[in-house]
Amino acid sequence: MMWRDVGVTLILSLILPVVAQGARHTPPGKPKLTSCRSPDKETFTCWWEAGSDGGRPTTYSLFYHKENSETVYECPDYHTAGANSCFFNKNETSIWVNYNITVVATNALGNNFSDPVDVDVVYIVQPHTPENVTVGVLEDEDGPFLRVSWEPPRKADTRSGWITLIYELRVKLEEAEEWEEHRAGQQKMFNIFSLHSGGVYMVQVRCKPDHGFWSEWSTASYVKVPDYIPRERSMWILIAVFSAFIFLILTWIITLNRSSVKHCLLPPVPGPKIKGFDQQLLKKGKPEEVFNSLVVQSFPPRSTDYEDLLVEYLEVYVNEKQELMPEGKDLRDVGCLKSKSQSDNDSGRGSCDSHTLLMEKCGGVESKDESSYEEPELLQGQAGSWERLERGDSQVVDTPDSSDARVKTWPLVFSPSIHGSSDNHHYGTLEMPKQHSTSEITYSVPDHLFPTSTSFPHHHHPEYRDSLGEYSEYRHSRSPSTGVLYHWEAQHHPQAHSNFNIRNLERQKEATGLGLPPSRSMEYVEVQKVNQENQLVLKPLSSHGRGPSQVQFGRAVVDYSKVNGVNNDNVLLLQRQREMAEAGQYCDYREKEGAEAERYPTQQQGKTTKDGPVATQLQESTCLTTSGYVDTVPTMPTF
Amino acid sequence: MNMMQVMQSVVWAVLLWPCLVSLGVPLECKDEQGSIILCASISKEKLLDRVIQHAELIYRVSEESCTLFEEMFVPFPMRSQRNQAGYTCATKAFPIPGSKSEIQQISDKWLLHSVLILVQSWIEPLVYLQTTLDRYDDAPDTLLKKTKWVSEKLLSLEQGVVVLIRKMLDDDMLTNSYYEQGVAPYALQPEVLESVLRDYTLLSCFKKDAHKMETFLKLLKCRQTDKYSCFLH
Repeated sequence: MMWRDVGVTLILSLILPVVAQGARHTPPGKPKLTSCRSPDKETFTCWWEAGSDGGRPTTYSLFYHKENSETVYECPDYHTAGANSCFFNKNETSIWVNYNITVVATNALGNNFSDPVDVDVVYIVQPHTPENVTVGVLEDEDGPFLRVSWEPPRKADTRSGWITLIYELRVKLEEAEEWEEHRAGQQKMFNIFSLHSGGVYMVQVRCKPDHGFWSEWSTASYVKVPDYIPRERSMWILIAVFSAFIFLILTWIITLNRSSVKHCLLPPVPGPKIKGFDQQLLKKGKPEEVFNSLVVQSFPPRSTDYEDLLVEYLEVYVNEKQELMPEGKDLRDVGCLKSKSQSDNDSGRGSCDSHTLLMEKCGGVESKDESSYEEPELLQGQAGSWERLERGDSQVVDTPDSSDARVKTWPLVFSPSIHGSSDNHHYGTLEMPKQHSTSEITYSVPDHLFPTSTSFPHHHHPEYRDSLGEYSEYRHSRSPSTGVLYHWEAQHHPQAHSNFNIRNLERQKEATGLGLPPSRSMEYVEVQKVNQENQLVLKPLSSHGRGPSQVQFGRAVVDYSKVNGVNNDNVLLLQRQREMAEAGQYCDYREKEGAEAERYPTQQQGKTTKDGPVATQLQESTCLTTSGYVDTVPTMPTF
Repeated sequence: MNMMQVMQSVVWAVLLWPCLVSLGVPLECKDEQGSIILCASISKEKLLDRVIQHAELIYRVSEESCTLFEEMFVPFPMRSQRNQAGYTCATKAFPIPGSKSEIQQISDKWLLHSVLILVQSWIEPLVYLQTTLDRYDDAPDTLLKKTKWVSEKLLSLEQGVVVLIRKMLDDDMLTNSYYEQGVAPYALQPEVLESVLRDYTLLSCFKKDAHKMETFLKLLKCRQTDKYSCFLH
């Protein structure tokens, strides 16, 4: 039962629409004017589309009226232009006039009007496509080119000027995608250049009135371009000219900077250059001038006064004790005038304490002072020896050791028992201890002390200057018989041969008495020069009225400081007063050294026997009872 | 004596020969409506060509102005498409041929006169249009420039047509202008109430009339060159 109902409903649902369709009759739908076109501005055609049919055959009719009249006309021609069209011929076409067109669809049940459309023919002109489009390949000196020509559409009256058409064409290679469009204006010919050799081109043309629509494109015309070789001569010429120009510029730049380029590529080898050396002078052949220019004016440093540089200050002790003591003491106290070499920065005084004075100890008999308490012993020892000597036996003098000792203690022979005579004649001589009062003392001194004695048979005159300042001459003579016996003849020379002038002896004599610690009276001597025989020519400073301020003449004890040493800055390191024992020990050491050193100067002296004043090299005795002292003598300038 | 006079005249002629030539061939044609003789130098063909060029330019500019105005001020539904014209231009007192066949039947004289009438009828309305467009707030400068240019060119076109009439028709009746109507016809259009639409109609109608002028002149030109071929079509 259910199945049957379903089938009935299905059948009914299928049948009913069909039936209903046939039974529907409605008035037609509304038509619509689609477009109106005029190909030549003389006629025009309008097309419409029909609406729904409405089930009945429908007829369409077109009615129009012009803009200023109410007269309604119907379309004169429905067939020429095809279905659903209306064609207006020339007689019915008015330009510059608005047409109001309406289409009416009519069927049995009714009719339907379309919307009216206003049309002005002038503005609906759409010409046909241009005709006779021809494309040709023409040759030119630059290459082939296309020449396209056409004709206006047949219906458009361009000749009378009724329509003015403007054309447009487009070109493309057959295999290309994009068209190349060209506006040709009103001309009917066009040239296309820059073709691909061997390519096939397609050309199309269309036209348009100045106030209408574009026509359709004409059918494509094909053309084949023959093969040709493009002559790109101009490009090569341009490249050549450009490169030549650049080349010229580079050449010009390099020529301008010739030297710097050469310098960069081939750097010059530096040659020797001497400052101040003028090659031109050398070429002229004047070597003196050349070398003179090399001389640096500032070297060596010049000093106008050479003599100033050689100034040495020598200190001489004026021993107060000498008037009481034997002359040995004088000898002992004789300060050796040390001749300082130029390089010695030490003070002018030859100090026993100074380390640097080793080589500069004056030769000859040195008289050193010893502590007074030692004297008596040595005196004793020596007295005998001397006595031996005095006997004049061919007694071999002691060995150098003993002679040294003797020398060392030689001054001790002169005991303080000697009383200084009041007369002006001062005996700076060596006297025999106690027994001898003669002013003449002969000593036998070993040879080696005076090595030069062998070569000089005659007398030598080692001259000493005692602390008294009196010039005393010790002659040591050699008796031909003994050969070893030397006679020392101490002679008095009341007058100093040299410039050495010490006048303070008298004062010293008066000042101190015996037993009193001898107050040294110092005097500074100036070394004037060194003569040819390496002898010092001295001159006392006091004669010049000047002298170091430290000169003390038998006055109170001066506080002296001992030189400890000389440091690198040429500064004397001073020492405070030490014990006398130290000083004495020092002195012994110094004396020994001094004796050795003393030989050499005397050796030199012995070589030249000259009369006249000779400078003696004396070594000052710094073996004081008090500590060694150093004068603050200005050091000599060093170079 | 005669010889001397002849010699003098010859010498004077030789000296003033360039002046004679220049006098015989005046180059410029600046003249009012009265003096035509001086402009005999320019040929009719050239003059016609110039007039045609004028007419073409005027039409082109008027078309651009109308498009500008339409895009700026006219609402879309009311825009008239190119193939449609929703406005009514004022009818002229003088009948204007409306089709090619009619035009072909008109003589040259009437053709020129028709052009002249058209030109003269639009001189004042364009001036009025300029003043109206100035009142617009956002009127583009190009529109104003174009309308101004058009009104100027129209005057020169009028001059050319006048000269052309004199030359071609040997007619000297241009002292009075045919068209004496003013702007009033357009202002009294009952269906056009809005100023915008009124101006738009003005521009459109002018555009159409410019086209008319152009077409007439071109046809005239064809007639001048090849009378028979023009009528054959």
